[in-house]
Amino acid sequence: MTAAQIFAVVIFVGMFVMIVLDKIERHYVTLGSGILTLVVVFGICMRKGTAIMDTLAFKNFATKDFWYQVTESESKGINWATIIFIAGMMVMVEGMAKAGFFRWLCMKIAYLVKCKTVPIFITFMIMAAVLSMFIDSITVIMFLAAVTIELASLLKFNPVPMILSEIFCANLGGSATMCGDPPNIIVGTSLGFSFFDFLTNTGLCAGICLVVSVIFLYFAFRKELVSNSSAPVDMSKFPKPSEAITSKKDFTISCIIFALAVLLLVTHATTHLTVATIGLFIAVITLISFGKHAISLLKKVDYKTLVFFIGLFIVVSGLEETGILKLIANFIGDISGGNIKLMIAIILWVSAIASAFVDNIPFAATMVPIIQSLSETSGVPISTLAWSLAIGTDIGGSATPIGASANVVGTSVAQKNGYPIGWGRYCKKIAPATVIVLAISTVYLFVRYL
Amino acid sequence: MSQVIISVGREFGSGGRVIAEALANRFNIPIYDRHLITEIANKTGLTPEEIEKYNEKPKNHLLSRRVNGYSNSIEDNIAEMQFKFLREKAASGESFVVVGRCSETKLRDFKCLVSLFVLGDMSEKVKRVMNVYELTEDKAKAFIDKKDRKRKRYHNYHCEGHWGDSRLYDLSVNSSRLGIDGTVDLLEDYIKARMSE
Repeated sequence: MTAAQIFAVVIFVGMFVMIVLDKIERHYVTLGSGILTLVVVFGICMRKGTAIMDTLAFKNFATKDFWYQVTESESKGINWATIIFIAGMMVMVEGMAKAGFFRWLCMKIAYLVKCKTVPIFITFMIMAAVLSMFIDSITVIMFLAAVTIELASLLKFNPVPMILSEIFCANLGGSATMCGDPPNIIVGTSLGFSFFDFLTNTGLCAGICLVVSVIFLYFAFRKELVSNSSAPVDMSKFPKPSEAITSKKDFTISCIIFALAVLLLVTHATTHLTVATIGLFIAVITLISFGKHAISLLKKVDYKTLVFFIGLFIVVSGLEETGILKLIANFIGDISGGNIKLMIAIILWVSAIASAFVDNIPFAATMVPIIQSLSETSGVPISTLAWSLAIGTDIGGSATPIGASANVVGTSVAQKNGYPIGWGRYCKKIAPATVIVLAISTVYLFVRYL
Repeated sequence: MSQVIISVGREFGSGGRVIAEALANRFNIPIYDRHLITEIANKTGLTPEEIEKYNEKPKNHLLSRRVNGYSNSIEDNIAEMQFKFLREKAASGESFVVVGRCSETKLRDFKCLVSLFVLGDMSEKVKRVMNVYELTEDKAKAFIDKKDRKRKRYHNYHCEGHWGDSRLYDLSVNSSRLGIDGTVDLLEDYIKARMSE
């Protein structure tokens, strides 16, 4: 191994360990590791200025392809399209939250099913999946879990099974589209896949899995869903959905912008607008629409996550430029012996197991160049490997309380309200559900792509 | 000052809790230690046993994560509930004694806070622990080390300052010098002097 390879691996492993230990905020960790990669790996060891410029990828902003793309292309270095898109969606979601959209939607659905526990359980699971197809699952779970606890205290049922099921379905829904989960955005923008590509491939798989999951989770939790109160539900005591709306004007604007975002995403393969353009456009119209509140929306954007992504992409570029990822790809190719079935199974299950314990975003960012290389050497279509990776990282994250961000937020909201959810409580029903969905996904991938 | 909040940090076996109870009696104010667990239990619906299990314990970094300020460590959330509860009590104007819970840092914005740290000679601490827990000398020493290590990790995770560092407290006192009663007398005088400021 060369010095550059050794340093690239040491920085990467050090970054992962620091993220897990959580002593220093993760955005400082990835940014610090990214700077180390630029200075030590590219600057001192490789003495390659072009690698630094390729990784920083500032020149991409000046290219037409970055904003308007007729032919699909792959990107290297910092994936600015992912960052701009996520930032844009964050602005939109903050606007929706400010207007009271999420709380309104939750209360409206609870009202539509007459505040009955089992129908709420089923509709909230489906709502978690559908919303997570377009909005980050952290926001979805933050609101759903809060409303679930509120309803649980009014209807006297245990909110834990419902929150766990919502988390699971939010992660499942996130796997259905390109913008549903950060690993998918990374996979999509890095490998040039469209929203529609995801919807017709991982989306179909997620749809099948959602039906099975709803049935499984219902039977797994049905005994715990029984209300402790035998009294009939008095709907007059419940907060009205309309009370959730803070401003009718903002609410209407938010709904229109959200619908527009969905429309632009669904049609972006036809319009050729890239996700960077869509993200920027959605952010700009949200800020213009909210007028004097635009500054407060901007302040609420989670800049730490954006910085986290920037640092992460640099560190992964270090591994890529030094050829480490190619070595890993060759290793996977060797152990699978050219057997495509085995290759798919390895990518899906290794991604899933890894994502159950470590952050799936750095994992996906690292795996993208690996599957690219694997596809080139083995001849397996990149799309097949990409769907395996996306499904594995998105679904695997559900298995443990630390696997995905939605799990952390959901269990945290429950705990803050007096419902502690430890590893045992979480994994007892959700880990088997994850294994079932992964098994279905494996069969789906084999049947559809082989 | 009409309101007084006495924060008592302590080494395990130093008699800090007994001293805190004596101070609460002398100033006729409530003490929040075990009682804090009951209060939180009543407020949240958790059982005191559940809270006790995670009380003043450092979180397990490998088994929990933090996302956008949301932590799914039960230890973290129990700690945050306790900090919030203490801040609400302090903001309501109530006087009280609180044992541990990073209170010297979490309540430092309240001018009526008197922060104390009680330490002790190892030989004295071992004697006390052997007596209270019916342990051999070696086991008592190991028990003290284990408990103090946990408190230190818990404190240093939730606060910027280091547990037991005299710069963090208004007064650090070795209870082995004057004994429990003598230390309580000394601290009572100090607190009265602070209250009369």
